[in-house]
This record gives sequence, C-alpha cells and structure tokens, in this order.
Amino acid sequence: MAVPAAQVEAKVALRGRRSDGLRGVLGPDYRMGYLFVTPIALLVLSLVAYPFTYAIYLSMTHKLVGLPPIFVGFENYIRLTWDGFFQRAVVNSFIFTFGSVVFKLVLGVVMALVLTSPIRWRSFWTGVLLIPWVAPTVVSALNFLWIFDGSLGVLNYLLVRVFHILPQGVGWLSEPGTAMASVVAVNVWRGFPFFGISFLAGMKAIPGELYEAAAVDGASTLQRFRHVTLPGLKNIMIIVVLLSTIWTFNDFQIVYILTKGGPGGTTMVMPVLTYETAFGAQRLGEAIAVALYLLPALAVTIMVLARYMRQGRRR
Amino acid sequence: MKGRGAVTLEKTLAYGVLVALALAVLFPFYWMIITSFKNEDQMRSVVSMFWPKPFAVENYRQLLAKTEFAAWYGNSVFVAVSSTLLATAVGTIGAYALARLKFRGRGFMASATLITYLVPPSILFIPLYKQMQGLGMANSLSGLIAAYPSFTVPFVTWLLMGYFESIPEELEEAAMIDGATRFGAFYRVVLPLSAPGVLAAGLYAFTQAWNEFLYALVFITDGRLRTLPVGLASFITGDVYGWGYLMSGAVLTTLPVIAAYIYLQKYMVDGLTAGGVKG
Repeated sequence: MAVPAAQVEAKVALRGRRSDGLRGVLGPDYRMGYLFVTPIALLVLSLVAYPFTYAIYLSMTHKLVGLPPIFVGFENYIRLTWDGFFQRAVVNSFIFTFGSVVFKLVLGVVMALVLTSPIRWRSFWTGVLLIPWVAPTVVSALNFLWIFDGSLGVLNYLLVRVFHILPQGVGWLSEPGTAMASVVAVNVWRGFPFFGISFLAGMKAIPGELYEAAAVDGASTLQRFRHVTLPGLKNIMIIVVLLSTIWTFNDFQIVYILTKGGPGGTTMVMPVLTYETAFGAQRLGEAIAVALYLLPALAVTIMVLARYMRQGRRR
Repeated sequence: MKGRGAVTLEKTLAYGVLVALALAVLFPFYWMIITSFKNEDQMRSVVSMFWPKPFAVENYRQLLAKTEFAAWYGNSVFVAVSSTLLATAVGTIGAYALARLKFRGRGFMASATLITYLVPPSILFIPLYKQMQGLGMANSLSGLIAAYPSFTVPFVTWLLMGYFESIPEELEEAAMIDGATRFGAFYRVVLPLSAPGVLAAGLYAFTQAWNEFLYALVFITDGRLRTLPVGLASFITGDVYGWGYLMSGAVLTTLPVIAAYIYLQKYMVDGLTAGGVKG
C-alpha cells in the first residue's frame, strides 16, 4: 500500500513523541499492547497450551483412574495401531468426515446459488436456512433421534403409511446398513448452512463486471458459474472445507447422542471412542492416545488453514 | 443476454430448491414443537400425528414439576452469561491490541489465538478435566465457566479483530492529535463505534456456551448441576413416552438461542463471515 510520505512522517511524529529505548525495542504501543493481550495469553497458556502438553504426556502413560500414571513411551500408540476396533474407528471417522463434507459442500453451493438468484424475501430465506447452524446441536440430534425412531418415528410413518415407499419401517439408527448414512445426514443437515452463508458472502465479493463481461462474451449460465463463480470462491472454499473437516472429524455430540458408536461399532468414530475409553473403560492414557493419534495430520491441517485465514484477512 | 423464458425457469428452479431446503430445515423443529404438545395417549395410539388434538400442556407441567429441568435452566443461564461476559471483555481488548496496537510479538499472539480457535475440544477435554479436578473445580459450574473461554475467547477475538481493522485508523489519530491518550482513543472513539460488533460477538459467544455439550458432560457428575444440553440428553431412557417432555425441554432450550439469532441475523452474513472467514 502506498502511503504519502507526509502522512508517514506525521505518524512517526505522533508515535515517537516520547520515544524511549523500550519503545524502540518493543514497539510504540507496547505498554497498552501487552496489558491488553495478557488475559488472552494467560487463557491460551492455561486452557490450551498446558492441557495440550499434559495430554501428550498422559498419552504416553498407563493411567488408571485413582492411580498415579506409569510412563510407557509410545506403547499406547503402538498397541492402538494393531487394535482392530481402533482401526475401524479411524476408517469410520474418515467415512463420516468425507461423506459429510462432500454433501455439505454441494448443498452449500446450491444454497448460495439460490440465495443469489433473483428471488423475493431473500433475507427471510437466508434466515430460515441458517437455523440448523444456530440451533443447539444437542437439540437437533435429539430431534433426529426421535424422527429416526424405529417404532414410533415420523420418518418411518411417512415412508410406510403416508407415501407407501417402504413396505415396513427401518431401524435407521439401529441397523448396521443405515446407521452411518443416518448420522452423516444429520451432520450434513446441521453443517451445510455454514458453507452456504460463507459462499454467499464470497459471491457478493465477486465484482459484477466479471459476470457482465462473461455475458457479453456469450458465456452460458453454466460457463459463468464454472469460469467466474468457482474461481472467485476458491479461497473461501478451501477455508470452509478445511474448517469443516476439522470440526466434523472431531464432532462428538451428534454421533454420541444418535448411536453412541453403535450398532456393533459401525458408527464408532474417534471422539466417541476417546470418551468411551476414558470414562467407560477408565483407561485415560489410552483414551488420549486415541484423541492424539492423528495429531500430525491435524497440526498440518491447522497450519495450512490458519495461513489461508490470515491471508483472507489481509486482503 | 438472457431470454424471458430462461429467467422464469431460473426463478422457478430457485424457488423449488428453496422450498425443499426450507422444508428439510424446518421439519425437525415443527416435529419437536408438536411432539411437545402431544399427550401420552396421542403418542401411544399414533393419532393426530401431524397436529396435536387437543394441544396438551402436561409435558411442560411434568417437565417443570417432576424433573430438575428448572435447575438446569438456571445453571445454563449462569454459566453462559458468566463465560460470555468474561469472553467478551477479554476478547475485546485483546482483539483491539492485535488489530491495531504496534508492539513486538503481536503477529505471534494473533497466530496463537487463531490456532487456539482451531484446536478441537475433543483432544482437550480429558486433560482439562484432570486440570479442573486438580483445582477442585471438576464437579462445579465454576469449572465450566473457567473452561469455556478456551473456545469463546479465541472466537470473539478473531471476530472482533476483523471488526476493528475495518474502523479507519484516522479517527483514532485525529483523537490523539486532539490530545487523547492511546487508551482514550480506544475507549472513547473505537469502542462506541464498535458497540454493535461487540454485542454480536457476545451473543455468538453466548450461544456457543449455551450449546456446549462435551465439557459439561464430562466435568459435571452431580445431576442437579447439569446444564441444559446434558440434562436433555439424560432424558433418553429408551422409553418412548419420555419423548413428550424431552421435546418440551428441547423447545425451551432452543428459545433463547433463536431469540438471540433473530437479533443477530442482520450481522450474520457480514459479521460472521467477515470475522470468521473472509476470502
């Protein structure tokens, strides 16, 4: 950014009024700056950095509740690697995450497209479609638990008695064939509005002239979407997909409330397995090893995402 | 140029998709509300399926009289309000420092805050629980109030950083040329201008704290000290006839969030996205 020299001088004069040594080293606003970020720094240290470090240590111990931890190195991780139930949870987590994110992405694009097309009551529709994102997730999960209920649930009632699509009801959450698809559906239902609203904001930022130029060049609706909208949304798509991947991979409440990982482990994902290992089986060290097993992948994702988010801000 | 037919087709398609999405979005809430007004007979004999006849309020009466729901409501209000006030205060000054003040280590702190926002609770809940146990705060609401800033503060900070960056720096410079201190420029110029943003960030933090489930599930063992999400989930007993009062509790739990949301909606597109993800 080009700043006129006179303005720079004025700023320097303003900041350097009582220039002393510390200001030179720590920056012109260091006193107020450090005062204002100290609370955040303390919170980050005590609520994230310390527990995180402690978690890494605990994951290298045998820790039974009520007994002191015994250091065992990477034993928990090695044992998990060959544990069939854990392997299945990893696979389930990937299926749950990628299944959910793909559908959220598609529905999010659809939502943004219809909300930018020439419709009436745009803000009303936007408001309605955002509700799943703001409603308490536990409430939504409980609603779907009731809707999916095998004997008295309304989904079976609609499919069997009203529309006659199925001859008899399905235990959506209790049968291995449908349980994973059902929890994915609920996660998609809850999460697609965030994709939609983010893409909507991204599309508003695309200059109208680009669309006009494309129209003058004779581009069809599909071509304009392919060559103007999609490239304009690229960065925001990367951010939203990465963000949602982290959130979905670590989503606990939807699966915990709907199936607790069942039936027979078909929906057991890593966060639920972490919880069950810690508070069901009471093996804390192993539980944290489950939670931290994919830490390298998570760390890389977070670093890439943080970089994109900060870049997005600077523009 | 598009022909009239193409525009009509596009509109019809858009409305069709909108109605389908809106139905999918609203149906679970419609179902929650009408279930909450059905009595046991209507549920058991599968009559008046889509509209309760008559509207029964006994679920609500039973919920308030026979369960600990009222206590949970109080707990949730207390925890969510306290942690929101804490998060908004800490986040506001922190965001201002990170957005505007010039000091060594600012970039590092901004990154640390953002990364903290991205660290998922599912890897922190066990060590945080041990930590709260060590401090004697495990089975208490103060433990939750202490833990919730781990996600509300980074969120509020990140949101408000974007907000403060959008306020022209010249305003503060003008105030300081007129003799205001750095703090005065923040307190008397920036803060009043940012009031809507701070309020919106606070309300977001409130809904996050209100909806939180994992920490509350793990930290609290005493039934009376539960917050609403954990209390509601504890109603799942496998008994179908519990659904009536479970759904009435779900309705009452959703109300404050929807109220906050109606106020927030106008900030949603600009505020949430400008603060959260801007690309």
